[in-house]
Amino acid sequence: MSLNLVCMQLLNGIAVGMLYALMAFGLSIIKGLLNIPNFAHGAFYAVGAFVCFSAYERTGSFWLGLLCGFVVSAIVGMAIEKFGVGKLLASAYLFQLLLLFGVALMLEQVIILVWGTTGNSKSPPEFLQGAVDLGITLYPRYLLFITAASAAIITAVWFLIEKTKFGAYIRAGIDKKEMTQALGIDIDALFTLGFGLGAGLAGLAGGLAVPLVGVTATMGTDMLSIAFVVVVIGGLGSIYGAIPAGLIAGIVQSLVTIWAAELSTVMIYVAMLAVLTWRPQGLLGER
Amino acid sequence: MGTKRWSGGCDRRDFLKVGAGAALSLAVPLPIRSAQAQTGTVAFGVVTQNTGTYAYAGELVVRGATIALEERNFEILGRKIKLVVRDDEGKPAVGARRVSEIIASENVKFFTGNYSSTVGLAEVEVASKEKVLQYAAGGAEDFTGARCSRYTFMWSAHAYTAMRTVLDYVAKELPNAKKFYTITADYAFGHAILKYTRVVAQEKGFQLLGNDNHPLGERQFTQYLTKAIAAKPDILLLLTGGADAETAIRQFHTFGVKATRVVAPWAIEVDEMKELTPEMRNGLILGENYYHEINTPVNKAFVERYLKKHNFPPAYAAASGYDTFRTILIAMERAKSVEVPDVIRTMEGMRWDGLLGETTIDAATHQTLRPYFVVKGKAPEQMKSPTDYAEIVSTGSTPQPKQHNECKGLGPF
Repeated sequence: MSLNLVCMQLLNGIAVGMLYALMAFGLSIIKGLLNIPNFAHGAFYAVGAFVCFSAYERTGSFWLGLLCGFVVSAIVGMAIEKFGVGKLLASAYLFQLLLLFGVALMLEQVIILVWGTTGNSKSPPEFLQGAVDLGITLYPRYLLFITAASAAIITAVWFLIEKTKFGAYIRAGIDKKEMTQALGIDIDALFTLGFGLGAGLAGLAGGLAVPLVGVTATMGTDMLSIAFVVVVIGGLGSIYGAIPAGLIAGIVQSLVTIWAAELSTVMIYVAMLAVLTWRPQGLLGER
Repeated sequence: MGTKRWSGGCDRRDFLKVGAGAALSLAVPLPIRSAQAQTGTVAFGVVTQNTGTYAYAGELVVRGATIALEERNFEILGRKIKLVVRDDEGKPAVGARRVSEIIASENVKFFTGNYSSTVGLAEVEVASKEKVLQYAAGGAEDFTGARCSRYTFMWSAHAYTAMRTVLDYVAKELPNAKKFYTITADYAFGHAILKYTRVVAQEKGFQLLGNDNHPLGERQFTQYLTKAIAAKPDILLLLTGGADAETAIRQFHTFGVKATRVVAPWAIEVDEMKELTPEMRNGLILGENYYHEINTPVNKAFVERYLKKHNFPPAYAAASGYDTFRTILIAMERAKSVEVPDVIRTMEGMRWDGLLGETTIDAATHQTLRPYFVVKGKAPEQMKSPTDYAEIVSTGSTPQPKQHNECKGLGPF
């Protein structure tokens, strides 16, 4: 085993981990705000990917594709919160879960109806194609872009949550719902916007993943389990726990490949068990 | 006083008549009953996936099988042919259950099915127990190896034939390529082609730098690719299939590595090639059980008919449905019988001009001995039509060496 290979896998793990983090970040915002595990999150990821693919295909602009992926997923998310999840917040937990399962299945079938069962691919924009020489290895430009773009998006959302009035409302909504409502803040609208933000981030992650994994009707289901593992590692209820957790998942998956490639994906789950054994509340979660 | 009616709507006299008729028919000697059976309908079955996300794959098998029957106006030896289609949901247990059901309820005696080997292998026992002919569409070597059976035939090429054909081409086309790295699907199919990669690599003096197994349904290949590229191979052999292979090719494309060629000996079909961009397909070396440009009269006629009906070239699934049924029908004609043992005896060692070219069936294993094809992805500017993805660059049919076969005998009829 060479040091070069370890460095290469570390870089790969960071890129993949940032994508996991972005996906799980939206999930943890929804979990924090509404206290429900969004089982439709994978479907929002898939919707974002397909919308991004179609917009990119028609206009030739990847950036417009990413924007469309974010906006459409966010709108679908807000509609589902407004007319579905929001109505069931006072009901038993089971009804909310069943609704979200139903939404996930429905969105997957809509994708099949609109785009068909066969998948598709798109190359990254020309300036993101090929590799850069990092001295130790050739490294795909697109993976570097994913790392930078995910970091930038997460930073922007951090800024939104920590430094703006809207963010203050969200934080208040997460920590003290009743008090926030008592202060005259429209908590229902806040929940709808928060759900939309989370769904939009999943859609954005889906759009970013298009040149890497293509688009397939089942891509949401494939990603959902990893997103949940990342949220659990990060700590349920903690918004930012998803970021180090995503990185841990990506790096573990990548580094394990050096010694036991067949265990690389399963090791993400082992990492979750290890973290939960050490800190049952997750990395940044509170007891 | 009227006759007392039975609850089923027939009176006691009718019941006695039917009962007597049934008893009489059972008393008729067997040869006479067999002669009666010879005049009935012959039922062919297609048990494959027709629901769920991958429903399209099952539909393709049915399309091919239907064309084979249409060519004969759904008749053989003066008898009507009935096509029975069932959904196995892509699950081995469901497949075995559906096969049992169509044998019992529809009197199906000949069937083909899912090109997932795990489903097909689960049906081997049913075919053997019920004494019906299975012409399997899956590619696992167990069909004609460890689990060979008198009642099961295998349509796809043997994994050895596939690897030998592809690596023969690589040796000829890329004489300086000696170092290989393999990424393998971690289940029976992947392990089988890895086994024969090792056998053929040894025969040809190739160096295998390393292998990584990936779980089925993997969507993240960059970690395997990073490791493979670090080993600086001349050839990256993708011993995986379907969506996994496509994902690996997409992600390899983002690396922009020119010094390593991608060879996928048994990975993607024409209906999956469209899921890749022309840039990703360009220069790919792929092994194929079937490609619509095969230059045989039978294939040209089949493709013409298929395109007219479906407007897209056929691939493995449709070709297997077509060729398995066509072969069984040829065997029936030669045997002048539609009885399963007669058809099996005729198929064992049969030689005919098939869809793929000259074809025979190994009487000892029931392996179809047929050509395997190597195709090379075309550059975008070379494509003459939207589906002109690749061209056939080589063909081979070297059979599996006997010492590698694990069939301990097909067993009695």
